[in-house]
Amino acid sequence: MPSLTVGVLALQGGVGEHTGLLRKAAAHLAAKFDFTEVRTTEQLARCDALIIPGGESTTMAIVARRLGLLEPLREFVKVDGKPVWGTCAGLVMLAEEASAAKQGGQELVGGLDVRVLRNRYGTQIQSFVADIQLPFLGEAEKPFRGVFIRAPVVEEIITHSTMGQKTAEPVEVMGVFRKAEAVKGDGGSVEDIVAVRQRNVFGTSFHPELTDDIRIHVWWLKQVLDTARHKGLPVVSAV
Amino acid sequence: MAANLNGASANGVSDDAWTVKAGLAQMLKGGVIMDVTTAEQARIAEEAGACAVMALERIPSDIRKLGGVARMSNPEMIKEIQAAVTIPVMAKARIGHIVECQILEALGVDYVDESEVLTPADDAFHVRKADFKVPFVCGCRNLGEALRRITEGAAMIRTKGEAGTGDVVEAVKHIRTVNADIAKAKAALATGGDLAIAALAREIGCDAALLKRTAELGRLPVVNFAAGGVATPADAALMMHLGCDGVFVGSGIFKDAETPEHAAKRARAIVKAVANYTDASALIEASIEHGTAMHGISNAGLKPEEKMSGRGW
Repeated sequence: MPSLTVGVLALQGGVGEHTGLLRKAAAHLAAKFDFTEVRTTEQLARCDALIIPGGESTTMAIVARRLGLLEPLREFVKVDGKPVWGTCAGLVMLAEEASAAKQGGQELVGGLDVRVLRNRYGTQIQSFVADIQLPFLGEAEKPFRGVFIRAPVVEEIITHSTMGQKTAEPVEVMGVFRKAEAVKGDGGSVEDIVAVRQRNVFGTSFHPELTDDIRIHVWWLKQVLDTARHKGLPVVSAV
Repeated sequence: MAANLNGASANGVSDDAWTVKAGLAQMLKGGVIMDVTTAEQARIAEEAGACAVMALERIPSDIRKLGGVARMSNPEMIKEIQAAVTIPVMAKARIGHIVECQILEALGVDYVDESEVLTPADDAFHVRKADFKVPFVCGCRNLGEALRRITEGAAMIRTKGEAGTGDVVEAVKHIRTVNADIAKAKAALATGGDLAIAALAREIGCDAALLKRTAELGRLPVVNFAAGGVATPADAALMMHLGCDGVFVGSGIFKDAETPEHAAKRARAIVKAVANYTDASALIEASIEHGTAMHGISNAGLKPEEKMSGRGW
């Protein structure tokens, strides 16, 4: 296994958009990656890192349960501590709790000690694109074009840890969004948390994979590389 | 299909609005959208793993049986369905019926289907969908029809099958036609460049720039689901095999279902078949779980005037 394998969970949703942007991003890094779609536990086992894409989180959870993938995913995130990034529905899947879930609640993978609020801004008509400042990309960087489609946000960082025996590391707020009309009298927070990281788990409310902007994908792949080097995995330089 | 669908639209919708409209369809890929007529059916669909539901007054097989004029659903029923589920709710409007579309937009549905399954309201014009904030899905039988709808503002396409029959043959015919048309466009671009694209655009009646983009992508420039006549897990997997991004199932879930549990099993089985359409053992399991399919009507026995897929142009 000469290169790092990065999977995109392919149970449903915007899979090809992520693999396309990952390939473009990898061209800017001095390392070799394999990108692969993940539908089975065997495919998951080969991955050093994983993206959970946008889609319908209820559908993904139901399909993952039926394919016997929920427990292996939890192990991947919480026990193996491999780098994982969720966008939109993927963020919902990686949260420990979700509000405005379907009747009877929905199953989650977890890993981020947060409660997400699904469909924060309403139905599709309230979906929007807005510039957001993401300091982790660098202070001088131009804003990122955030595509919010029936998007969830992080409603609350929850204090009790569900990360098993490991000492919980704090949840870092990596990006916030202030939407003018969302402030008025809806009881929600004035600033919405739209990007978070905790240990190996990263989540965004919006869809970088629906833009041509590779900056977040490059940044995340660098985190994947750092983790691999830290663990002593062989990282092959791209020639 | 890893083609990148992101980027500017070719139909006058602003880039941001287009990204959001087409983007929702991109997030539905690999999923099953189920026709439902009540909040209870919508819940069955959501529990089974549907990625969206389509609210309509009667399932297509009943529209076919009962005849009369099929129209937009009662807004009260749509509201009940919206309240019952958290997945996207789509609803059908008649071809060319601008006001039904405005009502559906005001109700906050997530997608409007300007659908030939309902009785057309305008025999000359489809709705100008670019004028709406809500995104639209429309049917097609060939590439020209698909690109005309996209030029009007549709952000998602479904290849028309013969709704309400449980016979998949028309859906297969139309996705094969679209695929063959795209192959022709690719060949035209490769051999004759812009001039050949312009000639082909005139022949099939569509915008040349959009046709060129389709040829470059090697696929429709928006998400394309199969629709109409899909009755079994194997039918759904067949449509995925032929290159569809996902599947609409109309009458196939609830028609002739013995009990709500049977409908739920059928729904789960079709979701499983679409998610695992290349996995034979998953398809065996899904086919067993599905049980008896809707009885169906053979497409070959339908008179041309009885076909819904011929509506629209």
